[in-house]
Amino acid sequence: MPTTSSDSQTASTRRTIAVLGNPNVGKTTLFNRIAGIRAKTSNFPGTTQEARVAHVELNASPDDPIESILIDLPGIYSLDLDLSESKICADVLAGTAAPVGEEAHTPDALLVVIDATNLMRNLTIVGESIAKRLPTVVAVNMIDAARRRGIYIDAAKFAECLGCSVVLCSARTGEGVDELTAALSHAKIPDRSAPTDQSGIERWSEDVYALVSMPTEHLADDTLTDRLDRAFTHPVLGMLSFVAIMTGLFWMIFKLASYPMDWIDLWFGAVGSWAGSLIPPGAIHDLMVDGVIAGVGGTVIFLPQICLLFFLLALLEGSGYLARAAFVIDRALRPFGLSGHAFVPLLSSHACAIPGIMAARAIPDKRDRLATILVAPFMSCTARIPVYVLLTTILFPYRPLYQALAFTMCYALGIFAGLFTSLLFRRTILRGKSRPMALELPSYRLPDLKSALLLTFDRGMVFLKKAGTLILAISIVLWWLGAYPHSGPTDAAIELRAQAEALVDPEQAETLLAQADSLDTRNAAANSFLGRIGGTFQPMFAPLGYDRQLTVGVLASFAAREVFVSTMAVQVAGSDDVEDDTVLESIANATNDDGSRIFTYATSWSLLFFYVLASLCLPTLVVTAKEAGGWKWATLQLGWMSLLAYTSALAAYQFIIAAGGS
Amino acid sequence: MTTMPIHNASMPKASRKAVPLTQLSRGQRGRIDCTDAASEDCSMLRAMGLRPDASIQMCRLGEPCIISLTGGCGGGCRIGLAKDIASRVMIHIDE
Repeated sequence: MPTTSSDSQTASTRRTIAVLGNPNVGKTTLFNRIAGIRAKTSNFPGTTQEARVAHVELNASPDDPIESILIDLPGIYSLDLDLSESKICADVLAGTAAPVGEEAHTPDALLVVIDATNLMRNLTIVGESIAKRLPTVVAVNMIDAARRRGIYIDAAKFAECLGCSVVLCSARTGEGVDELTAALSHAKIPDRSAPTDQSGIERWSEDVYALVSMPTEHLADDTLTDRLDRAFTHPVLGMLSFVAIMTGLFWMIFKLASYPMDWIDLWFGAVGSWAGSLIPPGAIHDLMVDGVIAGVGGTVIFLPQICLLFFLLALLEGSGYLARAAFVIDRALRPFGLSGHAFVPLLSSHACAIPGIMAARAIPDKRDRLATILVAPFMSCTARIPVYVLLTTILFPYRPLYQALAFTMCYALGIFAGLFTSLLFRRTILRGKSRPMALELPSYRLPDLKSALLLTFDRGMVFLKKAGTLILAISIVLWWLGAYPHSGPTDAAIELRAQAEALVDPEQAETLLAQADSLDTRNAAANSFLGRIGGTFQPMFAPLGYDRQLTVGVLASFAAREVFVSTMAVQVAGSDDVEDDTVLESIANATNDDGSRIFTYATSWSLLFFYVLASLCLPTLVVTAKEAGGWKWATLQLGWMSLLAYTSALAAYQFIIAAGGS
Repeated sequence: MTTMPIHNASMPKASRKAVPLTQLSRGQRGRIDCTDAASEDCSMLRAMGLRPDASIQMCRLGEPCIISLTGGCGGGCRIGLAKDIASRVMIHIDE
């Protein structure tokens, strides 16, 4: 009788199967083919390594399903290398580590995935695996590609050499996958062994290779691969194609994401009005509409951009191009003490520094990794975009070309500051040259759409979880600080309302009432906890040209940069339910209590420099502390970025004032 | 710094003298002799397939240097190496 994945079997009867293999052997594609969308990504506790875990039923026969837990381990070349991913794999096989949510015990079976087109090199991990004396199945993947290259592998002889099941398969076409799942349910401990030292295992793999494969030196025609490699890594052509591909990538991210972003915006707007009409006016109403819905909506709006970035990057990685691009970037970054491995982390940081810093896990050298983590938040993330839009619009109203130039300058300034920071740190606290790169260049192929979609889904969920927990909490706290203590109506407002009542013309009366409301809102904002905090810190920001309201905006940005725009909107307009362009205009024209403009030319430039360079993001600092291995790194990042931001903004403001600007 | 032991250095049809990998010209083939790099780089390269006696072919010279592992994989596996590392990999050129 077929069982469902209900609790017909307890966790202890589920078989844990660890999936092991070299990078670029199609291990994850094979895992996804067996597990489908049921997999989730989990971290190993106390480390930055992650694995995909899936609860699946493997059918020994159609009537005999066995509940199993598949763990897709990080791709490694050997279990004995001094790398965190190699150590975690060795710990999982020894039963001393398991992904979060799973019980640590010795796996019940081991699935070793190897590349049929690169058999000899892959035999190292096979030899190391069978020495572990665990029930093992070896999947010889990409058998279709091997056939095309004229490579012949004798599966029966191979199984005889290893003393365990060997299945020839192709994760891409599905060939042999059923046979593989059946073999997994009957996996047995290999009755052969392999040497344990590196030289011994190398000799053993040569012997096995000679027995199971045609010992041919036949070379397939790789003219196209050669040409593409030479073009993509060429000093000029390589850089040009890199710029073209990345421009295309960003164009697609900004262009295609704008539609779903509009829908999300509309949806949250509708939910806000619906909730607003449902809940009676009062504290709960304000908390839900202004705190929860506005706060979460303002973050979730960036979900399409983040998903698109990861999807397109996954496609590029699957195509084989990214490994080539890493070498192009390596040439450009090396003089600044960063390696080509920093490319994906820094590129991802242009969407959000958090996934960027997390992607730095893949950098093998510790100092290279630390330098990348410290530099990543200088890249202009999407949360800065609303602020850039606001400030460039204020600086150059109705001059789109100048706006675009200022926008580009912001991105360039961030990259320049990052490179300068790396150069400085690599000559002081992270002394030493970046480690030269040695990277496998996978074959060019059509990317696997399913794997890319699954990865995108995973990353999107991580981002949504963040929006639903941390950002939600911060939004509520900010709302509370801004809303309390409540202030009563001011004398000036009471007088204005009295005048309005006396007026006959309803239009004039309405104008006076609006003025009275605005006065009350400003007064409430100034007297709220947030307003008082702003007042306390304002003297510190006065040399940069910021008044109390701007100081509040800057301080509120520590929760998330984009909060600046909404905070300013709430403060100056007294209402945040106006259309976007109107909000921008009302902020641009906002005045102080004494009638002077808040956003002068000098202040706007000062703010622009400040927002490009400042570390205004609490979640980024938390992730830096976690990934770099201590709060000292996060403190250093905060201190250094704040210093750079403050001095640059100060210099910009004072220079413009000294030059006679306003 | 460690040096990989020379394993069966005198292969037929290969020069006896070991030269840096960067001396291969495009399309030329050779066999790895040893790698003179930091120990962690050395183990990594060996695990990636650049082990003593592995036969390789030069695909691109310069920065990066791209080679393909020709023995045991039909030339399907390509490895990109920064010039720094490539110049430390010693090989015997096939004659």
